Amino acid sequence: MRRKLSILFTVLLAVLCTGCDHARQIETAAIIENVTVDRRGEELVYTFYRLTSDEKPWGTEVPAASFEEACRLANERYIPHLSLAMLELLMLSEDVYTEVMRGDVDYISTQPSFSPIAYVTLCDEGAMKQFRQANRVQRLMEEQIILLKKNNPAVNINYLSVCNSLAHGNEKFLVPFLSSEKELKVNDFEIDPAKLK
Amino acid sequence: MRTEVRFSSKRFLLALMLCACSVILLLDDDLDRQTSFTFNLICLAVGLGICFLLFLPSILLKIRTDSDVPTLVRCCTPRLHLPVAIFYAMYFVYTAVFFLLPYTDMFHIKYFPDVTPCLITTLMLLGCAYAASKGVNVISRFGIFLFLFALLTNFLMFGGSIAELDFRHYHFTPEGSAGGFLQNTLYFVTPAFIAAVYACCSGTTRNFRFRQPLLALVFTGAKYAAVLFFIWFALGDYAMRQEYRTFVLSRVAHFGVFAGIESFYLALATMSVFMIVSLFLCCMTRCAGSGGSWKSILLFTAIILALYVTATYLPAVKEVLMQPALMLFFTFVAAAVVPFVYLFVGRKSNAKKA
Repeated sequence: MRRKLSILFTVLLAVLCTGCDHARQIETAAIIENVTVDRRGEELVYTFYRLTSDEKPWGTEVPAASFEEACRLANERYIPHLSLAMLELLMLSEDVYTEVMRGDVDYISTQPSFSPIAYVTLCDEGAMKQFRQANRVQRLMEEQIILLKKNNPAVNINYLSVCNSLAHGNEKFLVPFLSSEKELKVNDFEIDPAKLK
Repeated sequence: MRTEVRFSSKRFLLALMLCACSVILLLDDDLDRQTSFTFNLICLAVGLGICFLLFLPSILLKIRTDSDVPTLVRCCTPRLHLPVAIFYAMYFVYTAVFFLLPYTDMFHIKYFPDVTPCLITTLMLLGCAYAASKGVNVISRFGIFLFLFALLTNFLMFGGSIAELDFRHYHFTPEGSAGGFLQNTLYFVTPAFIAAVYACCSGTTRNFRFRQPLLALVFTGAKYAAVLFFIWFALGDYAMRQEYRTFVLSRVAHFGVFAGIESFYLALATMSVFMIVSLFLCCMTRCAGSGGSWKSILLFTAIILALYVTATYLPAVKEVLMQPALMLFFTFVAAAVVPFVYLFVGRKSNAKKA
């Protein structure tokens, strides 16, 4: 009897004390796969793209001054069950990167729920437009970034390497740059940390 | 009359090794940032060398007398029984709080900010008191389970893809200062508390071999080196930016296919602190000569809780208790000086009997 009681007690402890509280159903969680940052008029807009099986991306636009503020606002006003644990790509428009890159990478690198190997890339207006068109383009962009890294290992493609490069003073470093005139292309782009705010 | 069952020394040292490794999980990697990976490896070797020197008197005591400090105190110097028991009780109460403070802080800050740390500690201590009432033998059996769980967790932690790590900014050149050397070596000497536990409980074990404590320290060193590699070398400044640096260990899983194992990390840290405090309670009751008695276990548990509450509400007390130099000094007395004295007292007493 005593043995059965202790087994029951252990099972109850294992169920109750291992994270079953504050549980969130996967069906109700808004899992964010990609985030883009661009400028609309005078203000910066962070777009949170959810994980979806649809052909067209499902983006929620949040005007904010930084990624930290955008996450807070998104959670409070737009996406109540926001989950950024599966974030794969942060895409910065070429005209905003000097403003947000340092602060956003800094914020992301201190958040325990973010994956340190999520990609960071710059892009032009054409690539950003294509990104909004179809989910297929998002996959294609990630493939292009991986190919670039294979061909040029010096390029910093994820938060981990970008964060470490920024921590090393004012040494210039390379990041991917997605452009789209006729077709989608990826090149390396030199970042001068001295120019970043 | 209750007879003491002796169990395998190998199993006991396996449990002690897990306690030594858990320092990494509990303390927030208090190393000088201006030092390099290779420099830290040198500090690690020196630190574990000192640990071995602190271990040596109790090893020799075990080899020569097949006994431990509490038994020898009772047999050879009954008059000193009370002062020695008080000293060891104070030492283990202090060391228990030394490990409970960072654990409950981590638990409170990272996971359950709504729960008061004192409640977490009370529940933890009640569990430890129950385990201590079962004795060192049962706790060391739990060590086998913990070892298997630790193997799984470490495999998940370090099983990520190395190709994703960032090695470009870091190199193997030893860089550091004399102050950094002292600070880091002090940190790596922290696992020496297992020598004090061994000095108090080795009398309950059989089939001791000299290589057992040596292997325990070598494996502890290997675990520390792996952690250093990931935190200080492969992840670099990214790791330094974390609120809890050792938490990068759980995040290393992000590099591979095993994402989201933070609860494994927490479970391992919880079980480690549970085993450490349970062993401390066993040591205290052994030194007091009331092994397994509920009354003495509950008394020592209450004293630990009282010191913990004091340290929580008085930051000055917490600051003093968390000094690694103070910890090292008391460990030196408990693990090396007292067993060293009884090495001669025990031999003299045996010679008299002969």
